[in-house]
Amino acid sequence: MQLSLLLYILSLKLQIAAKMNKAFRNYIGTVQLKILIKTADGKWGRLFVFDKGKVTSIGGGNHNCDAALVWSDPGTAFKTMVKASDEATFYAAAAGKVKVEGMAYYIQWFNDGVKLTM
Amino acid sequence: MTQILGGHLVGKYMKEVEKVDTVFCISGGHIEAILDSFTEYRIRTIDVRHEQAAAMMAQAWSVYTGRPGVCLVTAGPGFTNALTGIANAYLDNAPLVVLCGRHPLRDDLKGALQEMNQMDVVKPITKWAATCYETKRIPEYLNMAFRHAVEGRPGPVFLELPPDILNVKVPLERVPMITRMTRKYTVHPDDWDLRQAADIINMAKRPLFIGGSGIGLSCCSASLSQFIDKSGIPFILLNYGRGELPDNHPMSLWDIGNVGIQLGITQADVIVAVGFRFNWLLQSGAIIPPQTKVIRIDIDPHEVDRNRVADVGLVGDASSVLSQLIPLIKRGEHSEWIKTLRAASNAFLDPELKLRVAPSSPIHPIRLVAQIQKFVGDDAIYVVDGGDTQYFGLTGFFSKEKAGVMATAAGLLGCLGTGIPFAMAAKLARPDKKVVLLQGDGSFGFNSMEFDTMVRHNIPVVCVVNNDTAWGMIKHSQELSIGCDRLQCAELGERHYEKMVEGLGGYGEFVTKDEEIIPALERAFQSGKPACINVMTDPTVTSPATPLFYQSLKMD
Repeated sequence: MQLSLLLYILSLKLQIAAKMNKAFRNYIGTVQLKILIKTADGKWGRLFVFDKGKVTSIGGGNHNCDAALVWSDPGTAFKTMVKASDEATFYAAAAGKVKVEGMAYYIQWFNDGVKLTM
Repeated sequence: MTQILGGHLVGKYMKEVEKVDTVFCISGGHIEAILDSFTEYRIRTIDVRHEQAAAMMAQAWSVYTGRPGVCLVTAGPGFTNALTGIANAYLDNAPLVVLCGRHPLRDDLKGALQEMNQMDVVKPITKWAATCYETKRIPEYLNMAFRHAVEGRPGPVFLELPPDILNVKVPLERVPMITRMTRKYTVHPDDWDLRQAADIINMAKRPLFIGGSGIGLSCCSASLSQFIDKSGIPFILLNYGRGELPDNHPMSLWDIGNVGIQLGITQADVIVAVGFRFNWLLQSGAIIPPQTKVIRIDIDPHEVDRNRVADVGLVGDASSVLSQLIPLIKRGEHSEWIKTLRAASNAFLDPELKLRVAPSSPIHPIRLVAQIQKFVGDDAIYVVDGGDTQYFGLTGFFSKEKAGVMATAAGLLGCLGTGIPFAMAAKLARPDKKVVLLQGDGSFGFNSMEFDTMVRHNIPVVCVVNNDTAWGMIKHSQELSIGCDRLQCAELGERHYEKMVEGLGGYGEFVTKDEEIIPALERAFQSGKPACINVMTDPTVTSPATPLFYQSLKMD
């Protein structure tokens, strides 16, 4: 529940930034990408769709995507993501709590974009 | 009194003093006397089909042998054709000696054949450039050229030799002949700075060592090995530094590739950067967190604080500085940090690791590289050329050889087309090693006529074309920037490059299926000929290098 709320708030931030934040608008440019953040069991998640400057999102963990950040469980996902720190994600990855599906660079691109909205 | 032709002084000096045994060239009227000196003094000539390849091969020769490479080109178009190779060596800091013909001095401003102001064109892309005006000073000028090429930060040098001095004889006794080979001199850092650096290294909890071309050009494997063993610092060797210690060294991070570099840089508390520039690939240093301590070792003092002010800067040759640091550092143990870095990186690399082991249709480039590596092994030299292709090759090939995996197109000039000349030079420099070239289909076009050179000079390189029928990096970048429906000058189409190589006298194979890759490699090596295996790969695949490239050109 906490994770779903966090991802929903993140989607709102990105949508607002796509309209109001010049740096973010420039960053996402005309990129067309689908980034999924989900739990390994697919029960929790949200798809972030970047389509030529527009950002939309759909709830749920079962969507086709270009890259996915897959968390072992919703609790770890929430605790780590709410810290918004590279270091926290690094240690979660080292502990096997998160992994990437698809191209890792797209996840990095997504994370760098999120930082612009903070 | 013995008379000697000016041109012969070139061969005599290079063979007897600098011990040059191979020159990369194309013939030309203005330089005939020099070419004849190679016969006289038994210097091997590798004559190519475009001067660009001669300059690139000579640059590669310096990388693979540790001695300056020499190329000889004729005046005018021979000169202009060589410029891309010279510029590449300049940005790569490679010790390249370019000898060049010139229109006769006596015909200056008369509209002589191939008359042009070469010096003003070449000066901005060379470390030293000069024209020799007197026959008896040819050895002196050559000595200066070799000295400038290797001393301090290496680089390309250019010596223009007009026919007025090459085609006349002088008494040999009147020619001052320098008899000592060019020596490399080094400077040493201040003792206080060395102690400061050692203190930072000794206190580090999560250190990372990054070695660049300065490591390779310093030929410092012995001191580097001692430094790494004692400090316990995990390392990554890039550019011409790669292979100074083998990729399979237990402390090498090449198993986690670019992802490991990115994560390591952002999570390290101390970075020791040696002979390595913080250029666009590291976002000009911006990728390094502000709190990270940075120790930079470079032969060029201007580089030490460039793009990131170093906490300690040590100026000097990499080998010399590392040797001076070794007694000052304590024995370090960072296995837990290395384990954590590897584990975190593997979480991000997991998709790539899976692609390596799973057969794919259409063939995935990562799988292609993995199959080549599986068949050829790490006792080989790999050269990579292309956009996306260089990412797949650099992260997928592993060698235990010095300069064992090279991708010059990943250098500052981003010079596609370097693969074929580098692979040829690698095979000539180390004929006992298998040399494999992974070549993008786009970049194949720049120097592919050099397969003729390979056939004429019996240089059996095996070239595997990663054929995605496009300028892949450009195409995928355009998809991100201007959209799939507006691609411009990005597609190439399916072409049978292997047939072109067969037509030139080499061996060719066309591969479309995963299971055909290894048998084709077997037959290519068995042929003993220069070979081209043209492998059709998935055109939809993008490497992580593409979005990085795309982002780097976006303007606020």
